[in-house]
Amino acid sequence: MRIGIVCPYSFDVPGGVQNHVMDLAEALLGLGHEVSVLAPADEDAPLPPYVVSAGRAVPLPYNGSVARIAFGPVSTARVRRWITRGDFDVLHVHEPLTPSLSMLAVLCARGPVVATFHTAMTRSRVLSAAQGVLRIVLERITARIAVSALARKVQVEHMDGGAVEIPNGVTVAKFAGVAPLPDWPGECAPGAGGTLGFLGRFTEPRKGFPILRDAFVALAPRRPGLRLLVAGPGDADELYGRFPAELRDRVTFLGLVSEADKARMLRSAHLYVAPNTGGESFGMILTEALAAGTTVVASDLDAFRRVLDGGRAGRLFPTGDAVALGAALTELLDDEGQRAGLTAAGDQVVANFDWPVVARRVLEVYAAAIEATDGRVMDQEWAGLG
Amino acid sequence: MPGMWWVVGALLVLGLVSAYLTWTSGRVQRLQVRADSAARALDAHLLRRAAAAAVLAEQRYGVELYAAARIALDAAPEEREAAENDLTRQLRAVRLDPDDAACAAVIAASRRLALARQVHTDLVRDARSARSRPVVRLFRMGRGREWPRYFDIDDPTVVPRADVTTG
Repeated sequence: MRIGIVCPYSFDVPGGVQNHVMDLAEALLGLGHEVSVLAPADEDAPLPPYVVSAGRAVPLPYNGSVARIAFGPVSTARVRRWITRGDFDVLHVHEPLTPSLSMLAVLCARGPVVATFHTAMTRSRVLSAAQGVLRIVLERITARIAVSALARKVQVEHMDGGAVEIPNGVTVAKFAGVAPLPDWPGECAPGAGGTLGFLGRFTEPRKGFPILRDAFVALAPRRPGLRLLVAGPGDADELYGRFPAELRDRVTFLGLVSEADKARMLRSAHLYVAPNTGGESFGMILTEALAAGTTVVASDLDAFRRVLDGGRAGRLFPTGDAVALGAALTELLDDEGQRAGLTAAGDQVVANFDWPVVARRVLEVYAAAIEATDGRVMDQEWAGLG
Repeated sequence: MPGMWWVVGALLVLGLVSAYLTWTSGRVQRLQVRADSAARALDAHLLRRAAAAAVLAEQRYGVELYAAARIALDAAPEEREAAENDLTRQLRAVRLDPDDAACAAVIAASRRLALARQVHTDLVRDARSARSRPVVRLFRMGRGREWPRYFDIDDPTVVPRADVTTG
């Protein structure tokens, strides 16, 4: 199949949507399809061979954050040219409701269009204000994909349309079998030792770091050798300042880590803790921890419960409850068998999130969009779905 | 000459209005055509699922599933939704082993049908909402074509159960 994918945000800046687009494109290429990705990028930026630059992106405040996007007559001309030259069987745009390349591509497109919605924009004021314009964009979309149940709910409630829920993928091979950091995770025996992992912005309340801190501070004096490994953006002094002086040498802060080090960091912990208090629309980090083969302890949020298969593939604790978290941590650190059981179930769960599997589900949506455009049903073989 | 400006102004407005009407009429047509295509694709996927179910019924599971598949294949338009729902219920009641070829065909056909149904419902909704707009009704832009109909069936997705052996 000839597939054209449009990414609204510049690859110069890392981000969830950009990573998703790159992983999807590579998975589709791996399945033998022809893929071209259009994205804003500086002229001299190093790009993967399948990415076509649509020119420089300009920073623009949108929906509470700054998005680097390309929009305007020059971008429109480039989008048109790319679509004409590409002669795609299907066009796949991401986040088409922000004023971006994706929206331009939808307006220029004639054939089947598939759209993926990433964010769960609960503030719908922007949406309802521009309802007329958005109507025209939405009408040209043939099939919609939502990456989370929350994003799907927004579709149904605010844009009266359904969407197929296909989760974010994870490249399992990038996480499984990676060597942990030197000297980690160390000993873990009943009553002593063990390493807890946390990845994310520890200053952001929604990430729930204070809950993990409270549990760690209560647990560490009773459990010799218990260590905490923290990675993510933030200031080291600020992090250590949150712990009593005698415990500081048992906390290790890695700062911001690269994708490769993220995998190593996840494998350096006995337990990965996700104490989030809300706002997590999917829980990407949990699938990554599962792919790394690390046992997960997570707050009982809807999204987390879905990823962890209701608690079969990881331990859930009542959201915000540091005491319950402490009890769960003690129990799991003491019981290697239980950890192994959860990890084994995690392997099964994460197989469904592996990119080649997720990409096949996306291909089926492409097939549905193409069929709905010309009314003929295609064979499994033709669509490469087999 | 103020009179001429009136004429120019009126012509300009007329031009804009007719451009808008042409564009709207094209939009309604396009949505209608797409809803019709989606209906044809949905029909094809319904037939495929019923055929896959009939093959599975012949190999095992027997009379009841076969009858449901036959009835779905032969149903008259007004009875079709009920017949398809009945087939979905029958398929959910049997054990589907994804490693068995006939079962895998039913599972795949059901998944593709679920997508076709979702896309069809969305496109019919778009087409109907465009047709029900006042300006479209006033100029009877959709005339000559029937209103696109929803095809109201339950979600046909079946859950494969690998942990049980097929009997």
